[in-house]
Amino acid sequence: MYPLKAAVEVIQLGRISYGRALQVQKLYVRRHLDSKDKLHNALLLCEHPPVYTIGIRQALYPFEEEQRLKLLGAEFFRSNRGGLITFHGPGQLVCYPILNLGCFKKSVRWYVCELERTVINLCRKYGIKAATSPNTGVWVGDNKICAIGIHCGRYITSHGLALNCNTDMGWFENIVPCGIVGKGVTSLSQELGRDVSIEESIPRLLETFSDQFDCTLHRGEYSNNE
Amino acid sequence: MSNVTLVEQFNPLLRVDFELKNSFKLLTQINKDRALSMSFDNNLLTEVHGLEYVVGLGIPANLKYTKDHEWVSIEGDVATVGITHFAQKELGDIVYVEVETLDQTLDKDEVFGTVEAVKTVSDLFLPLSGEIIAFNDALESNPESVNADPYGAGWMIKIKISNLAEVEELLSTESSEIPTIEI
Repeated sequence: MYPLKAAVEVIQLGRISYGRALQVQKLYVRRHLDSKDKLHNALLLCEHPPVYTIGIRQALYPFEEEQRLKLLGAEFFRSNRGGLITFHGPGQLVCYPILNLGCFKKSVRWYVCELERTVINLCRKYGIKAATSPNTGVWVGDNKICAIGIHCGRYITSHGLALNCNTDMGWFENIVPCGIVGKGVTSLSQELGRDVSIEESIPRLLETFSDQFDCTLHRGEYSNNE
Repeated sequence: MSNVTLVEQFNPLLRVDFELKNSFKLLTQINKDRALSMSFDNNLLTEVHGLEYVVGLGIPANLKYTKDHEWVSIEGDVATVGITHFAQKELGDIVYVEVETLDQTLDKDEVFGTVEAVKTVSDLFLPLSGEIIAFNDALESNPESVNADPYGAGWMIKIKISNLAEVEELLSTESSEIPTIEI
């Protein structure tokens, strides 16, 4: 007897601010924690206006740093995910899987690994050779194409990954991405030499996600009436 | 007299018992025995050899546990809390432990801090209601001690227990995901 595949609801949030997305994530996490069943897995897809975000290790980014980055025209947020500083902006596909790992495998390390593999498979569909490295994230050579930073409480995941499709790379030059000195960033567009939009990448991401996590996806609508 | 039996035993022949820095205990033991039996009824001499290898693994048993893989050590009304060997292995290399609830009084199951490893941040849940009276500052500069010595130097907080009845609700052994070796 094969175990039933987990079902994941795909919610497209479009262009929303990072702060708003944090609230939406909290809502979906709450739904998991409030119910005893395992039927609230969701995959949030969105795009943010320019914003720099940091994780819980905020001592590395004092107030002056925050001000400097804000003056460049971006927002600045401190979140409860893992990892150091990164940038989110137009042209970057941001994906927040709010999953109950009890439906998959109760291991946070396994989950991060699967996310990395999902993106590597996505890149392979485009003919790009991506790989993992001692630093988390998905890399093409010495350049990071996708950043990953997650939070987990009682096996409910939040935050997720950010894949550069046709992001303006200039924004990354103002920071040391993820605190890793000496490495660069890249995007699908940069690797392929043509414009690759978020709309084009979404179906492929969903395909590789459902393959890697062995789950079924169905489209859902965002509703905040709970 | 119809039967003479001679029994010799080394119990143990060799025994090595040691405790590791992370409070794990390892035991290896070899027992040998031999029994010689002479039966005068049918002039039969029987010899039986035995060689026994014993391997044991011990984990600290004077601790209580939560379903979130945290250990709790109780002394009077002060509880020391950390995460178990299973939890640290699960998380991977820990790079940061944040506890901003020092001196606060919280209820059981509330989040008292977070632990960051491999690009993930996991919540830490308070096993017993009470006031958080101490945080292991050494973890700021040495978060990896949670991996190396989760039951000793990797302790995280101390709680002044407000409701001793809650201690009964803690688990006396870690939940079933921990592997057990039986020989």
